[in-house]
Amino acid sequence: MTTSTLSTTDRIEKQPPAWTKMLDLSDRALAVLLLAPAALLLSLIIVYPVLRLGYTSFFSLSLTSGLPAEFVGLDNYRLMIDDPVFWETTWNTVLITLITVPGALVVGMALALLANLPFRVQWPVRLSLLIPWALPLSFAGLIFAWFFHSEYGVVNDVLMRLGLPGVIWFNSPNWAMAAICLTIIWKTSSFMALIILAGLQTIPRSLYEAADVDGAGRVRQFVEITLPLLKPSIVVALIFRTITALQTFDIPYMMTGGGPGTSTSTLAMYIHQNTISFLDLGYGSALAVVMFLLSMCVTVVYLRIIRTKG
Amino acid sequence: MTATVTQPGALSGKPLRAIAAIILLVNGMFPALWILFTSLKTEAELTLKPISWFPHAPTLANYMQAFSDQPLHLFLFNSLMVALLSTCLTLFISVLAAYAIARLNLKYRGLILSAIIAVSTFPLVTLLVPLFEIMRALNLLNTWIALILPYTVLSLPVCTLMLVSFFEGIPRDLENAAMIDGCTRLGALFKVVVPLCAPGVFTAGILAFVNAWDEFLLALSFNSNPALRTLPVGIQLYQGEFAFPWPVISAALVVGIVPVAVLIVIFQERVVSGLTAGGIKG
Amino acid sequence: MKFRALTGAFLSAASLGAAVPAFADTELKVYISSQHQPQVWRKMLDQYEAKNPGIKVTIETGGNTSEAQAQYLNTVMSAKDTSLDVLILDVIRPAQFAAAGWTSPFTGKDMSGYLPAYAEANTVDGKIVALPAFADSMFLYYRKDLLEKYGIQPPKTWDELKAAVKKINGGENNPDLQGLSFQGKAIEGAVCTFLLPYWSQGKTLVQNGKLTFDRAAAAKSLALWKSFVDEGVSKKNISEVATDDTRKEFQAGNVVFAVNWSYAWAQAQGKDSAVAGKVGVARLPALTGGDASTCLGGWEWGVSAYSKHQDDAKKLVEFLSSKDVSKFVAINGSLMPTYADLYKDEDVLKSAPWFADALQVVQTAKPRPVTPRYNEVSEIVRTTVNAVLAGVMTPDDGAAQIESRLRRILR
Repeated sequence: MTTSTLSTTDRIEKQPPAWTKMLDLSDRALAVLLLAPAALLLSLIIVYPVLRLGYTSFFSLSLTSGLPAEFVGLDNYRLMIDDPVFWETTWNTVLITLITVPGALVVGMALALLANLPFRVQWPVRLSLLIPWALPLSFAGLIFAWFFHSEYGVVNDVLMRLGLPGVIWFNSPNWAMAAICLTIIWKTSSFMALIILAGLQTIPRSLYEAADVDGAGRVRQFVEITLPLLKPSIVVALIFRTITALQTFDIPYMMTGGGPGTSTSTLAMYIHQNTISFLDLGYGSALAVVMFLLSMCVTVVYLRIIRTKG
Repeated sequence: MTATVTQPGALSGKPLRAIAAIILLVNGMFPALWILFTSLKTEAELTLKPISWFPHAPTLANYMQAFSDQPLHLFLFNSLMVALLSTCLTLFISVLAAYAIARLNLKYRGLILSAIIAVSTFPLVTLLVPLFEIMRALNLLNTWIALILPYTVLSLPVCTLMLVSFFEGIPRDLENAAMIDGCTRLGALFKVVVPLCAPGVFTAGILAFVNAWDEFLLALSFNSNPALRTLPVGIQLYQGEFAFPWPVISAALVVGIVPVAVLIVIFQERVVSGLTAGGIKG
Repeated sequence: MKFRALTGAFLSAASLGAAVPAFADTELKVYISSQHQPQVWRKMLDQYEAKNPGIKVTIETGGNTSEAQAQYLNTVMSAKDTSLDVLILDVIRPAQFAAAGWTSPFTGKDMSGYLPAYAEANTVDGKIVALPAFADSMFLYYRKDLLEKYGIQPPKTWDELKAAVKKINGGENNPDLQGLSFQGKAIEGAVCTFLLPYWSQGKTLVQNGKLTFDRAAAAKSLALWKSFVDEGVSKKNISEVATDDTRKEFQAGNVVFAVNWSYAWAQAQGKDSAVAGKVGVARLPALTGGDASTCLGGWEWGVSAYSKHQDDAKKLVEFLSSKDVSKFVAINGSLMPTYADLYKDEDVLKSAPWFADALQVVQTAKPRPVTPRYNEVSEIVRTTVNAVLAGVMTPDDGAAQIESRLRRILR
């Protein structure tokens, strides 16, 4: 690297004519040129689809009916309000978010505190936090479906070895939801742990030393030093986790398929079902608009936090 | 990352560290290990009660079957190509955009940054219908492109934000020197700035790769042709009305986990620093 | 567009393997699901290729369950994909495919040779949408040895079945022996589970596209299945049981009675089976005072509306649904014939003797509701059956839910 640096600086002497001026002129054009690919892609994959989504949600458009799209105004939304499955899947989505986001934070915090101990060899610790993060959600869903298998699953095996009764996990809404939430927490807590760990490692030692001098206990140190200093990174991580939790699809799809009944089905699964299995694009769009608005709320909060941070 | 700053006064005795290590390792590795064990068992051993933990007579038969029952090599190939191509596209586009944001005095810099952050939190699920329609209209359903384009959007914001911070750390003089040397500004970007930021670009690339490798919903919805399915979707094909062969599914899962695991093992430090460099989807 | 060309080239290379057809050949692609013995059909396709020089037929498999297939075909067909020429369709799909305009009709085809149920299932609004591939229906499988041991006749009603199970359980005293296995998981099979006792009360679900739902009959049907669970006749996690689980449990000798499709027969008599030689097949029971009823299954051959080889594809389908082919797949694949007289054919009966009694069952089997929105109807029914069996809701609430949700899509 140093050699290339040297060679470039060596040649500065050659001084081409008035390059600064030329560049100043082309700055704007260059900016347009450089941002164009991103803008183009985003308008094709995000902007146009969002507009299209809103538009389609006012139409009755079912590909299986063979009928052309027909403008129906707010009918899809009216149908939605009367649709018990819409409410059930929305509630399940909110429930999963409310359980797994704090769950992942608590577990992630614990993992990070453990990982922050002075291990002589660092890589196994790092790896054990990275593997769950890199494992596809759908794989995690399948693996844990096997863990929670009522007859041959390792979870029930451990329960029975401990003298507890086994559970038919996917036969009851509550147990099935519990299994799903545990899986999501396992899958997402390691990411939280990585973020928190990075935060922990930036906290200067001197702060704790000072606290020791003051005679502050470990719990107080954690509450008064660690937590406040970690707050910024935790907030960002929580917001991303909340938004991805609202989109939960892979894990329940793989583990329960939404069952028993529709008791563990999520809004994302319902959108997928209406769109791909039923080809009811109008209704699917209306459902998606609701989810879009839900996650927009979280994004707005996020942007506001970032702005206040400067 | 390797430098450990301990909290003085924190319990750091040997037994505690040992317990902590066991908890961390079991939590991180056990599920993958368990699937590895399962993949080495026969169907008969799997239905033993009480269940067996370690395979009694390890067999590779499930791996053979995983490849013969379904075109697992195709799933791997599709996943690999889709992830690689979308990673390249993501990097190319985000390098350009990040450079503009970092170096050119943009009038709407704040707005552009906000927009990027907003996109990074965007739920792609909600665009299932319009994206499906667009891909249908462009005749792209059941092609790699149907996935490459959305996957690129998936990682674009994060990679751009990361690269902006990397680019801002490069002294402007170096570029100027290259330009004096007759390079165009774009030339300088690719000949000087990007090589200098290679570690950063590489990290962004790994994140983009993992994001694309993991995606399930769009792959499930757009590429239903068995020969075009990616791994996460293809693995579902092993289960049918007529069977749910756990050992074979486990073998396929192991095959699917290995490539990313290798990537992670080799580049772990880089991945960690990339992950923690900014808010990134988990 | 480079990627597309790339993928296309790669794909065709992958699917053709080494056998690259000559340029002049017309290549037809047939979609068969991997559960329907593609290797048996392949032999017939080889024969067809030999008789029709210039035609090459390749098979594409995929989607192991009826739902997975529906998802696959939904994307392919709504993408107007021209790569598939001939499609195998579950008997419940012709109405949807006809309404969406995804298949080309067969004009002037005489359907009288087929079993009437299949002639009817493939005719939508007077148009012939597809031609039958093979027949199927649900049967009651039972352990002949156990029934003989306790001097019990195959039950005619569900109550008799319950009584028989109680008698056998009392004598055997084997906690692993389950009385009845059926499909309680939220899969297509659960729709039939619901319909069996519902139909037995003389009710229909949809007639001429109009909802004819009877809530009391539905509640009774759901209550019947729930009672099997509550009374210990079926196992507690029946809501997790899919079609093949039923087959496996029965084959392992852990079940006295099982509700299943015809494919289970060949496997139950196979060499891996613990019950080979001890299997009986009968008509499914009725509700006391009702009619015996069973669910019509089977698969059909359709020609994609987007195929570029319409005439060649139609000729191939005519061949695949001919009597010779039906006989061949009956003998070599145990797939039930779609022609009545094949059930008395000596060669067929030599390989599948039980077909002799199966004809009257297939002839009285009822088709599931015929509607373009069948996918939605199916989803509503099967998730509710699943929920009731798991104890999430009562049979009455389940019936009410089916009704209110069906009303939203079928008015």
